[in-house]
Formats: sequence, structure tokens, C-alpha cells
Amino acid sequence: MEDYEAQEVEFWAKLEEEGMSRSSMLRRSAAAAFGLTIMGSASTALGATRARLAGPPTVETKAGLALLVKNAKKEGHLNTIALPPDWANYGEMISTFSKKYGIPITNDNPDGSSAQENEAIRSLKGDSRAPDVVDVSLSFAIAGANEGLYAKYFNTNYKTIPRALKDTRGYWMGDYWGAVSIGYNKSLVSNPPKTWKDLTKPEYKGKVAMNGSPLSSGSAIAGVFAATLGAGGTLSDVGPGIDFFAALKKSGNFIPVQTTPQTVASGQTPISIDWDYNNLAYVKEFPAANWGVSIPSDGVYAAYYAQAINATAPHPWAARLWEEFCYSDQGQLIWLKGFSHPARFNDLAQRKVLPKNLLAALPSSALYAKVKFASLSQQTKAKAKIASDWPSKVG
Amino acid sequence: MATLPFFVYTIAFLFVPAGAVMLGAFQDKHDHATFSNIKLLFHHPYIDAYWGSIRISLITATIGAIFGMFVAYAAIREGTPRWIRSALSTFSGVAANFGGIPLAFAFIATLGPLGVVTVWFRNAGYDLSTKWPHFQLFSERGIELAYLYFQLPLMILVIAPAIDGLKREWREAASNLGAKGWQFWRYVGIPVLMPSFLGAFILLFGNAFAAYATAYSINQGQNIVPILIGAYYTGNVLDNPHLAQALAFGMFLVLALMMLIYIPLQRRSARWAK
Amino acid sequence: MAPSAYVWLLLGAAYFVVPLYATLDFSLKKNVIGTPCCTLHNYGWVVHNGDFWHTIKISFLLALETIVISLVLFVPTIYWVHLKLPKLRPVIAFMALVPFVVPPIVMVVGLLRTFRGTPHWYYGTPWGFLATAYVILAFPYMFFSLDAGFRSIDVHTLTEASQSLGARWTTTLFRVILPNIRSAALAASFLTLAIVMGEFTIANLSAFHTFPIFIQYVNESQGFPAGALTLMSFGITWAAMLSLLLVGRKRGARGAVIAGAR
Repeated sequence: MEDYEAQEVEFWAKLEEEGMSRSSMLRRSAAAAFGLTIMGSASTALGATRARLAGPPTVETKAGLALLVKNAKKEGHLNTIALPPDWANYGEMISTFSKKYGIPITNDNPDGSSAQENEAIRSLKGDSRAPDVVDVSLSFAIAGANEGLYAKYFNTNYKTIPRALKDTRGYWMGDYWGAVSIGYNKSLVSNPPKTWKDLTKPEYKGKVAMNGSPLSSGSAIAGVFAATLGAGGTLSDVGPGIDFFAALKKSGNFIPVQTTPQTVASGQTPISIDWDYNNLAYVKEFPAANWGVSIPSDGVYAAYYAQAINATAPHPWAARLWEEFCYSDQGQLIWLKGFSHPARFNDLAQRKVLPKNLLAALPSSALYAKVKFASLSQQTKAKAKIASDWPSKVG
Repeated sequence: MATLPFFVYTIAFLFVPAGAVMLGAFQDKHDHATFSNIKLLFHHPYIDAYWGSIRISLITATIGAIFGMFVAYAAIREGTPRWIRSALSTFSGVAANFGGIPLAFAFIATLGPLGVVTVWFRNAGYDLSTKWPHFQLFSERGIELAYLYFQLPLMILVIAPAIDGLKREWREAASNLGAKGWQFWRYVGIPVLMPSFLGAFILLFGNAFAAYATAYSINQGQNIVPILIGAYYTGNVLDNPHLAQALAFGMFLVLALMMLIYIPLQRRSARWAK
Repeated sequence: MAPSAYVWLLLGAAYFVVPLYATLDFSLKKNVIGTPCCTLHNYGWVVHNGDFWHTIKISFLLALETIVISLVLFVPTIYWVHLKLPKLRPVIAFMALVPFVVPPIVMVVGLLRTFRGTPHWYYGTPWGFLATAYVILAFPYMFFSLDAGFRSIDVHTLTEASQSLGARWTTTLFRVILPNIRSAALAASFLTLAIVMGEFTIANLSAFHTFPIFIQYVNESQGFPAGALTLMSFGITWAAMLSLLLVGRKRGARGAVIAGAR
């Protein structure tokens, strides 16, 4: 139960950051719900006819699901992109969906970046290999929506996704979030680091690595945000975070190599700063690494990725069915099993459908309660600063 | 003209896409013409990235060319069993394209903090990072060492046919005329090999200049141009394709400059071959 | 064998073999605490992976296709340039550097957008789109190799001799010139094979499933099998080259040789 409260606290804290008052949020959501209800009920009959005629619906209803499944099966295929199987348990998501609906999935470019996903939509437009759905970081989701790459779609569970985690026009919605964590090899690191300050200790010389460079890796830029919080700064200026890593590199603690499963399994990167869902997945995947995970208590930062449907998808019905599946209770719990916080976490907790064992597998909720998310403007500012300062200061 | 198919092909599949890139360098987000991307290249950290790339490319091209030539000559010359040459050329063919994460990890497993060689020296009481040569794999030196793994084989492959062309008869004729080993090289060998050597050097330079995956996997903060292009064009963070195209345009200028130096040098040295 | 040759070859061998040995050492470790040696489980993982065989077949065929197209395109061109149009040589040499300048990441986007409307047999299959892109990638290596090869033979004498004996251009090219630049053409083919077996970016962004894509995927998601796969792909490509060498040697044995060569 305290998990749910912690989530609530975090959720309202995030709203505070975004500068919205509770009353205005309630007012807005009431208006949105009202509008959606109108759209939903008055045009149910019309919607059904429309669906039978032309393309797939924009607003999905429980009644229309049967038609959605039927047409998706008729399309017979789904193209996904950039979904590593061990990232937030996407492997299970893909196989469960395929088995449940009998629709095979082609997962292209599993380690692709958000930029590549949007580019694939542009470059492969009209080709049967184009991705049907994408899972991109926030800034790319917004850019893609503005560019017209995505289709509007309100899935049946749209209302239970927190306002802060979705696009009200329906172009994208947040699918899961994770916090920056510190993973460590218990055989090689006798004294596990628990805070950002800990990482500066001389006993970690040559041991600390990140999952990529903040110039191109979402996980790494989150690391810089989190380090900024750990150094006592605010998300509006990531200078302290960059300085933290510069000092860490100078002292020799930070090794600028990208952590990969090979470096983790071999012990070449005994400490890795990465998303919690990645580090937690390593625990079971690489027993050789004797991996442990901690969420640094002096700086908890999280970010979410967003799900969107290609406006020119080769399999539009299957794309929408995929999104329905991801946002159903079953799909959300698969993400939770992958150690991430699914978007509808609050709703699931409220309805008491969260399995205890999955919750227990996540690190302490008290730590997650302190989590901070960066707004789009803060992210934009941070990127500019990292682009100009990181190569010279840390490089 | 027998060369027509070649030109048609390269125009269609090389110049059109490359031209699109060069044009894109002069456009901004809204496709208006602008010099702002190009002007940005002269500021930090972009200009440092160019120097970094040039430095790494020059060093690895020079070392790769010289050592590659020695190894190739050792394998091809009279007296060396023929199987050595076959093994070396085929191995070089594979190694010349061995790069990215596998190559980076091979070096991490060798010279990284827990690398085979590092541990071997440490057990013998000698810490490679604190004593000479103060070696740190995750640095520019480390990247250069890893780059040599594909630069050397490339040199071996490209210079071998030229070494073949050093006819045995010339060496015999020279010694008949009383020339010593080094004199043969100075007056016959090196001048004959020089045009091909220069061509190979340029190839090695270009090869290192454009290399991306290996450097990224060893030190992804290394300030070189391909890593920046990757970050701006296809990362999860930055998103400025036109700046990436401008960076590519800058690469083009650097290589054009190298060619301008190469062509007169090559012409002078080719006088010998004819 | 000359002592200096020994020294250079041993130094070269040491530099090349040690990192491979380190990878081997890693690939034999078990995925348990303490990582004791030794197991072949990681190699078994690769061999039993259907994707491994599927993608390696595709890449191999793609490589052969690229080599054939490249040789057909570049050998006559460079021959002609050396014979009749030596002034064109620096122009082509300059063109040969362009593929280096345009990073594959940027080039593939240009190619995808330029050829978007083309029919599926070209745009949607690796044998069309990818092969043509790889020919361009191989171009610098092909050019500088073949160029060095042509430079080492006396093109004019060979051609004149062949023509004075009544041969047509095609006969001259195939039966006189080609055998003489055999080593350069083979070297160029090796490089092309390795390029195709190692090229990742273009295949990745144009959504094709080739062997390097599989390698990258394993490197980013698996631990110990990645080391096993690295060595296996190294070994397989090397074996492919040795077979190319044997094929080239058998056919070339009957080649006519006039001036120069041994």
C-alpha cells in the first residue's frame, strides 16, 4: 500500500514541477473525460460503421476490441523496432503477444536509438518493412508528433494513464519509467556504493562506467541528471553533474568505456550506472557477475519512454492491438516484471492487482518516492550544456 | 567509353546521396539556406573534434603504413615460405575489417583493468598504468592501438602487389653493380614503392578518419568527428541532422586537403616508375 | 629466412594473436560466480542459434554478389584509365575517397530517401539495395588495390603484344591482364568480403538482417557467447578467404605471363 502512496506523492510532486495546481489539473481532466465520454458514447454506433469501412479507429472502446483483434489477425504481422528483449522485459511482451493473437512480430534493430526509430518511419515510408509502433524517449516523441510521424490513438485504458505521462492529442503515451541506479559486481566491489558521493571513494578507482555517453545515450544523460541532484544541484542546470563526472574521470574512478553485457559479465566494468530495469535484469542474466543494484539515495532521477503508432504503418490494426495489449493489465504487469514502473502503476495499485512478488523484486519504494522527472525544457537545456561542455570537460 | 558504366554507377549511388548530405550541411531545421552550421564547426568542441580525428588518423596511418610495409616485405621476400604469405594476406583480409565492439572488447580483455596482459604484468610486479608506458586503454592512445589492428592489415594487403612488382632481377642487377642493401633501397626500392606507399597512406588516413564503432566502444567520450556525427544524427539524446551533415562536409574538406597534398607528391614520385 | 623477416613476422604475429587469445579466454568461461574455466557452452549457444546460420548465409551470398559486381565494374575501368586516360586517374582516386567522407550513417539515409519509390525487388531485398551500397563501400579499397596492381605490370606492352597477336579487347582483358593483376584483384576481393561480413550501419538502418546485425545484437545482449561469436565469425571469414585464395590460384595457374612478374 505504501508503494501506491509513494507513487502518488511522486506524481503530485512532478505536477508541482510542471507548474500546475491540483485544482486546475482536476478541472482539465474532468473536461477531458467529459469530452471523451461524448466522443465515446454518441459515436459508438457511428464508430463501428466507420471501422468496418475505412481504417482503424482513433478512439478505441471495449466494444470495438473484437473487431480490432479480427482485423489485426487478418493483417497477420507486426513490425516493431528498437526493442531489446532484455530491456524492461520486452522479450516476454513480444512472445506473449505473438502467442496470444497468433501474430508474428519482426523486431528490427533491437539496439536502435530513438532517432533511428523516427528516421525509420521517414525512410521506410510505404515499404512493408516500416515499423508499426515505436518506443522513443520524450523529446523524440514530441518531435515526431509535431512532424506528423504518428497517428492519434486513444486506447481503452487511456484514461488511467497519468496526465503527466501522455500527449493529450493522442499521439503518444508514456509506457514505463525507470530510475538511474548503480549496479555493482559483488565479487570485485567489497563495499557497495550507495550514493553518488560514495562513487568518489578511491577504492573504486578504474571501476565506474556508464551505459554510453550522454551525447547519445538516454541512460547516460539521465546519469548526469541524477549526479547533478546528488551534487546538490537542480535539474535546471546540469553543470554540477558534468563537473562530478569530470572529477571522477580525473581521479581515475570513471572509465569512459560503454558497459555492455560482455564487460559486465567479464568484470571489466565492476560498477555500472544505468537504468534500474537494466541493472536489475543483469542480476539474473549474469550470475558470473554476482551483480547487485542500489538506487543512490542522494539523487534519484527517472525518465519515461513513450509509445507511438506510425501514421503510415503497414499494419495499422495490428499496431493498435499491440498498444492495447501493452496498456492492458497483462501488458503492464509484464513491464513490471521487467523491473520497470509501468505507466498505469497507480491505477493497478489502486485496484490492488499488483502481485506482491513483483513489487518485492523492486528496490525500496522509499527511495522511489524521492524520484524527480525533468520537464521538456529542462531536458533541452541540459542537452545543449552537455553538447558544449562534456567533450572538453570529460571527453 | 569503357568507363561510362563506372561513372553512371558512382553518380547514382555515391554522388547523389553524398550531394544530398553536402546540401543538407547548408540548411537549417526548416530547410532554409544557412551558413550557421558551418560557422559552428570552428568553435569548441567541434574544432577540437577535427584535430582529434586528424591526430589519430595521422598517427595510425603513419605507424600502420611503415610497420605494415615491413611486415608485408618480410612475408613476401625471397626466402620466406610461401604459406606465410597466404596466411598473412587472408588473415589481413579479415583483420582489416575487424572493428567495433568485438575489437574493442578484444583489447579490453587484453589491456583493460582486468586484461590478460595487464594482469600478467601486475603479477610480475609491474603496473603498466603507473610506470612506463603509463598506458591507459580508455584514452586516445588506446584507440590508436586498437585502430592499428585494422590499419596494419589494410596496409599489408594494399602494398603487397606493389612489393610483388619489385622485380627480383633489379635486386640482383643492383648487387651486381656493387650496390649494398641500403643503397638498393634508397635508389631503387623506395622510389619504386613510393607512389603506392603514398596511395596506401591516404587510404589508411581515410579509413581511420571515418572509423566510428571502435572508438565509441573504447572511449565513447572521445572527441572525434564520427562520434559527434553519430550523436547528432542517430543518438537518443541530441537531434540535429543538419549539424551532423555539416560535420560530414567538414570531413570532406579535410580529405580534399589531403588529396591536394597527395596528388603533386604522387606525381613526383611516379616519375620514377615510368 | 632472413633474421629481420623473423623479427617483423613475430612482432606482427604477437600483436595480432594476443587480443584474439584474450577473447578466447573469455569465451571459455562459465556463467557462474567466480567464472571458472572451461566450457564450450558458449560456442554451443552460437551453433544452435538459427539466426546465426540464417544471417551468415545471407551475408556470404551478399559478399559474393558484391565482389562480382565490383570487379565487373572497376577492373575494366581502371584498366582503361591506366591504358588510355592516365589523367583521369587522380580524379577517380579523389572519387574513391568520397565513401570515407560520407559516414555510412549519413549515406544510408541519403540512399534510402533517393531510392524510396523503386520496386520491391530492389528496395526491399538485400540483393538489390544493400549490394549496390556495398559496392560503393568497397570502391576505395578496390580502387587502391587494383591501382597498385595495375601499376606493377606493364599495361601498354601487354596490351600491344596481345593485340598484335590478334586478340580482341575482351580476350586481352580476361586472358592477359586479369591473370597478371590476380594478386591485386584477390586482395581487393578479400577486403570486399570482409567489408560485407563486417558492415553494420547501412544494413541496420535499412532494416535488413545480415550477419553483422546478428553479431551486434549478441554483443549488446549476451555476455560470454559474444566472445565465442567474435572468434567464430573471425574464423569463418578467414576460411572463406582461404577458399577464395584457392579458387583464384587454380584458375590463375594457366594465365599467360609475358613481361615482368615471376
